[in-house]
Amino acid sequence: MIIQFFSDTWLLWILLSIGGLLWWRGRDNQYFHYVFNRYWLALATLLLVSGIVFSLMEVLPGDCAEKYIAYKNTQGETITQADIQAERVRMGLDKSLPERWGRWVTNLTLRGDLGFSCAKRQSVNLALGDRFWMSFMFCMAGLLFAYLIAVPFGIFSAFTINKPWKDKNPQHSQVEQWIGTVMLSGQKVLDLLLRVISYLGLALPNFLLALTIILLYVFAGEPMPTGLFSDQWASVPWFGPNGFEMEKLYDFLGHIWLPIFVIGWSATALQLQTVRALVVDESSKLYVDAARARGVDGVALWAGYPVRHSISPLFNSIGFDFQRVFNDLPIVAVVIGLTDSAALLIEALSMTNDQELAAGILFLVALVVISMNFITDVVLAAIDPRVRKSVLGS
Amino acid sequence: MNALLARFGRKAKPEQNEESYYTAGQLALIKARFKQKTSGIVAAWILGTLVLMGFFAPFFSPVDPTINGADGEYRRGEPQVVFFWDKEGFSLRPFSYSYQKTTSKIDLKALAGGGLDALDALTSSGALSSSSQNKFTVDKTERRYLQLFVQGWEYSLIDLSVGGLDLDIRWDRHLFGVDKGQLHLMGTDEDGKDIFSRTLHAIWVTISIAIVALVVKLIASLFVGGVSGYFGGRVDTILMSITEAVRVIPPIPIYLACAVALSQIDLTPVQRYFAIAVVIGALDFATLGRRLRTHILTERNQDYVLAAQLCGSSTWRIIWRHLIPSFTSYIIVDTLINFPYVILAETSLSFLGLGLTEPVNSLGVLLQKAQDPDIQQNMIWQFFPVLVFVVLIMAFVFVGDALRDAADPYSEKK
Repeated sequence: MIIQFFSDTWLLWILLSIGGLLWWRGRDNQYFHYVFNRYWLALATLLLVSGIVFSLMEVLPGDCAEKYIAYKNTQGETITQADIQAERVRMGLDKSLPERWGRWVTNLTLRGDLGFSCAKRQSVNLALGDRFWMSFMFCMAGLLFAYLIAVPFGIFSAFTINKPWKDKNPQHSQVEQWIGTVMLSGQKVLDLLLRVISYLGLALPNFLLALTIILLYVFAGEPMPTGLFSDQWASVPWFGPNGFEMEKLYDFLGHIWLPIFVIGWSATALQLQTVRALVVDESSKLYVDAARARGVDGVALWAGYPVRHSISPLFNSIGFDFQRVFNDLPIVAVVIGLTDSAALLIEALSMTNDQELAAGILFLVALVVISMNFITDVVLAAIDPRVRKSVLGS
Repeated sequence: MNALLARFGRKAKPEQNEESYYTAGQLALIKARFKQKTSGIVAAWILGTLVLMGFFAPFFSPVDPTINGADGEYRRGEPQVVFFWDKEGFSLRPFSYSYQKTTSKIDLKALAGGGLDALDALTSSGALSSSSQNKFTVDKTERRYLQLFVQGWEYSLIDLSVGGLDLDIRWDRHLFGVDKGQLHLMGTDEDGKDIFSRTLHAIWVTISIAIVALVVKLIASLFVGGVSGYFGGRVDTILMSITEAVRVIPPIPIYLACAVALSQIDLTPVQRYFAIAVVIGALDFATLGRRLRTHILTERNQDYVLAAQLCGSSTWRIIWRHLIPSFTSYIIVDTLINFPYVILAETSLSFLGLGLTEPVNSLGVLLQKAQDPDIQQNMIWQFFPVLVFVVLIMAFVFVGDALRDAADPYSEKK
């Protein structure tokens, strides 16, 4: 009885106990008080997001009862309007939107139940399975790829931004000026090239990029790297009779790079712009001048002052970067033939009009973004003295 | 090349004296700083040319891009190359050759005879494969000379009709064409429509969608940011928590849902086009709205706002006449930076078949065709719109980058 009760409401207890713990620690600790505030703000935002997502999905045509009845119709049963109405009442679809939303949210907070998908005729949690984690890993890998390229190149780009093409330093001799001009022009050209390459990722729509790569494979006569595995490895378990299947891992890596590369490249352009703008902003501040006046120079100046200070806003934006990458994923998934939650989302939206499944996936994305924002806020307040000062006020 | 251009730009600038620098307006300063960004200037020229060609597309395109101008004799035809010389000698006036379709002879009699060999021969001869349909013989003896300002289909150059006033300027001259038949610089598609002309027309359709979307976005952001920043307090809290919630939801799935809903309503292509632009714009208020709110929150306590309040200005007048002009440059730059993203959103929708659809000419529609295996293998020239698209987006991004740097008042070197 009691076990039943707790297994039905487990998520609520977890949420409440985290909140309670934070509140208890925050009574005499300013930092935990801030964390507690962020915590309930995040929960409130989630509630609002669930409302927006749930009501937006109402614009999709048709409802669950119609689809269910239409399915029964194909099985040879004759269905009348009264049957549809009865089905609606059974599913609770005759109730108003706030009522249905209330029930959905209650189930969600009590036991993480995302509702029932009518097109799949199973619960959304089951239909998703670990596919959402797959999308999550894709996005994180793509984001990592983007950061690895954007951060060093963005800093480099900011470094050359206000440099002239010609060395006109009057203290330099003729030869020194000539060498300086070559160096400066080289840097400028390199910066331009790097920017062109990274912006190409933005300018080539990612579906086209994926198509082009697949096409190259077709022309080369190689098997296409679509999906996650080749046919021969798809059904082989990871741990075979002779230990871990390394061959399967290689096969997996041979397929996985394509979606990560495609979404990563298109995310690079925006990251590069952000890093560049952040570092340029910081580099024109007075403390950089002060450091320069003290004699700090070259790489030490850049790494120690503007770059170091632009890391925390960059870290702070990880949540929204994730949202932006996930935004691109559905179309890539359609082209490459992935079976992750992004592909499910497209299917639910444009083909089966499955409101609950689409709402569930969108809610999960929002959940990830909000949790990431929460974590980065909390971590930054702990380690970055500037943020700590601004949020804790001491 | 770039160094040369940079030097040119620097020389053209008048001698800057101290006085004029401190009295120059914001726009003059931005202009002066922008002129120093070589990549920005080059991109701005490319962008300007493309937009101009797109806006006056009927004038610049030699062939009518609609089905009326489709060349039935030259379907799936490859680009017609323009030459200055050939074996017969040099010609100052460029020319192209005339193209003839080779109709592969199908021996119906042998087929009717019932011989399987004949059927085999037909299939292996390639007469039925799609790539053989692209085969045209070039008649090198018959030159077709290029002409400037040729007479062609009539079009509306610029429509200034307002109210009852009929100011629709119509013209039937085109920048270039050939004396006999039509010139297909970039080949034709399955219906015989000219790819080059379609692409030129598509540029303006896509840009105008982006403009409509960005104007709607601007209005929505100004409303949310202005109201929330000016009133503050509870209004601010509510509006900002809604924006925060909207910001975390990925937009393309939301556009998709709205596009699916729109496809249920019976709309003409033009209405659909505006509906999509409005949807893309209206849902994108979160980022700009937040920035405007922060800005207004700091500005509203300034003395000039207090002065306006004491003079009896209404709330709306203070927001519109005093607060918003204080960050016009920021708004302009942000709008320009967002152009490529809006264009990409339209393209993604079109790619999924939920945005604009054939026969409308938009870059999204033309890009969508690139996923057809037939086009990838047999009509590679239909990738021309992709090239134009990439150049357009790159030009926008580079101009946006340069403008962002130029508009930042603190970017000046000391």
